[in-house]
Amino acid sequence: MSVSRPAQARFRAAIPIRPRFRPNFVIRSNRTFSDAKDDAKPSPEVKGPNMDQLPHVSEEAAATAKITGEKGPDLQQGTPIQEILQGDKSAQEHMPKVIKDEIKPSNPKGSRSFSTSARRPTETIPQPTTARQEPAVQETESLIPGIRIPTDHRLRQRYDPLVHQVTNLLMRDGKLGVAQRNMAEILNHLRTSPPPTPSPQRPLLPGSPPPSHLPLNPTLYMTVAIDSVAPLLRIRAERGAAGGGVALQIPIPLGQRQRRRQAVQWILDAASKRKNRGSGRGGFAQRVAEELIAVAEGRSGVWERRGVVHKLGVSARVNLNSKRR
Amino acid sequence: MPPSRGILAVATRSSTGLPKSQWDVLPFRPAQPASFSTTACLAASGPPRKGKKAIRNLKAARQSAGRPPAPGERKALRKRVVLSNTNALEVSGLEDLDAKAIGKESSRCQMFGLPGPVVDSLRAVEAFKPTQGWRMFRSASVLWREQSIRLAQIMTDLAKLKSPETRRMVLAGEKGTGKSVMLLQAMAIAFMKKWIVINIPDAKDLTNAHTEYAPVPGTSPQQYIQRSYVANFLAQIAKANAGVLSQLQLSMQHDLSIPVQSNISLDRFADLGAKDLDLAWPIFLSLWAELTGPGRPPILFTLDNLNFIMRHSEYLGRDLKPVHAHDLSLVRHFVDHLSGARTLPNGGLVMAATTGSNKPSSPILDLAIRQSEARIQGLTGEAVPQWDPYRPGDERSLQSMADLEVFDIKGLSRDEARGILEYYAASGMLRQAVDQRLVAEKWTISGGGIIGELERGALRMRP
Repeated sequence: MSVSRPAQARFRAAIPIRPRFRPNFVIRSNRTFSDAKDDAKPSPEVKGPNMDQLPHVSEEAAATAKITGEKGPDLQQGTPIQEILQGDKSAQEHMPKVIKDEIKPSNPKGSRSFSTSARRPTETIPQPTTARQEPAVQETESLIPGIRIPTDHRLRQRYDPLVHQVTNLLMRDGKLGVAQRNMAEILNHLRTSPPPTPSPQRPLLPGSPPPSHLPLNPTLYMTVAIDSVAPLLRIRAERGAAGGGVALQIPIPLGQRQRRRQAVQWILDAASKRKNRGSGRGGFAQRVAEELIAVAEGRSGVWERRGVVHKLGVSARVNLNSKRR
Repeated sequence: MPPSRGILAVATRSSTGLPKSQWDVLPFRPAQPASFSTTACLAASGPPRKGKKAIRNLKAARQSAGRPPAPGERKALRKRVVLSNTNALEVSGLEDLDAKAIGKESSRCQMFGLPGPVVDSLRAVEAFKPTQGWRMFRSASVLWREQSIRLAQIMTDLAKLKSPETRRMVLAGEKGTGKSVMLLQAMAIAFMKKWIVINIPDAKDLTNAHTEYAPVPGTSPQQYIQRSYVANFLAQIAKANAGVLSQLQLSMQHDLSIPVQSNISLDRFADLGAKDLDLAWPIFLSLWAELTGPGRPPILFTLDNLNFIMRHSEYLGRDLKPVHAHDLSLVRHFVDHLSGARTLPNGGLVMAATTGSNKPSSPILDLAIRQSEARIQGLTGEAVPQWDPYRPGDERSLQSMADLEVFDIKGLSRDEARGILEYYAASGMLRQAVDQRLVAEKWTISGGGIIGELERGALRMRP
């Protein structure tokens, strides 16, 4: 590098200098400190398109009030637009339709356009879908002229999904026929026994039909009883996660089929511990049916089992953030 | 007797002056006499040693819980007949069975309720079976099908005859075709017509050796009476026919071991036999003589599960050979009337129904049914099936079934199926609209209207 170089070249920066961006408004957002030097006021000669505006109506009104010696609007608080428009005829004419619609029908007292109550996601009883509910027949063009085959023309479930699931859980040693007979016996028992009297401590699922409607729809009766007592979660014991050889208990949410399965298992356990009153076949079916009625009436011990799981789930909620290995 | 009491007995005898016991001559008297028992209870050591687990007696623990069921309680629960379901809807427009409408063609495919007194009588003679679906409906009702109307007409015609006639028939058909309910309908008609109804509800109870039996002296081949069964049978007859029998009085002299009031009403007379096991059979015979005497009403004599009496019973004779069912006195009494060896002097109907479920093999009965079918078709000579002479057979059963009218019960027609399906729907048991499609489906699936299968398919298995 020699001295003979021109002076301009010597002062040239490695990064080209650009003119500084000067906005016509003050950026304060990212500032965590105050610096009077940088608080550059926009120069009066430079005016943006929005800068030459009238003051806000409230400010204007406050200024007018100050002149006339009256009490104007409080500038610390915003003025509702409706209040502004009240006295202004031409503004009322030209105001947007949304506001017009809002103002026009004077709402009755006590009604609100918005809700102040938190809405719960409603748990609804899944209506038993049986094969006999005929689906909307959509016919398509068939390969065979003259014969129209519905689109849903396929092998459907013969039984209600829950009836199917419970039948399979009733089955022992692969004897499906026996399980089906027991299932029929259970539903018949529900049909012929008096309507349940639910206890207020252990109510049935919200949205379930009144108890007097249940016996004549035994599938729904069983569905309501099982779904009401079904646990929402299970506890998984993560070994070694808590340290010191202690298992960490982690609540795991269950799907509908899993919940029902757990409830049915509990009910079958309780039924098998009941005493058989009669003799001959069908005794177990009768005990299961009696247990289902006990569940619907809140007398069954299955409710306690569900309560234990839920309580454990609440206390183990804290473990949810722990990483699964 | 436990051993200690035996020893005590020996000791007391010696002290009362009887010959001295062996204990006195023995050189020493053991402090504790040896036990008769060979079990190892005395040898059992105390509590298990450390580290050994005691065997828990699970059975004892299980038995100790609660009151054990009383004798017969569990069976009574199993055999319980429920005739009403308070949850079921009342079927509007359902009429009770009327004596006038019984044989009318217009009542075909209709459901009729059974009147209360008739239900009580039918219950007394055990016409309702626990396997039938009565418990699902508000009240007991029956379908009036084509064959019911024919049966009703037969019974009406029998009552109109100038010279009394005994009609004999066997109800045959597949399992679940409604043979037992047809018997029930015959009984309901008979009760409404003021006949005397005598029903043996299940022939199996007579032949399965569950009830006591005793030989009748001086009979050849040896006959047996079943005293406790007959006593209960008499009680049923008296209760079910109380309305008719209370109006009838004893009219003959009977040689009984007790004095009987000369003008006692027949229901009280039957009750005498029901109370005394020794008198049961003689009183049954006397009652039968009274009922078949002049001026008495016609009789309906029925038996269900005929297959069980067309073979050897489970009882053993003195020679340790099985007793033929026809050697049981009550069975013989029925078979004599069914075969035509004896008749009902005041007219009436003798009916038996075969069983389709739990069916014991009775080749003779099967042959008799086939023969009857051939006769109905007009076949003669060799076309009628005969018993293979080289095959050992039951000659007595064959003879008793020689000339019988067989009423073959088939499935319902579609109209009849619709009638009963609409009743199911009106009762709230069938949650579907009854249309042509449903009727066709259920009728087909039930093997062509077999009513037991129809009920299973529509109500039990697909609720």
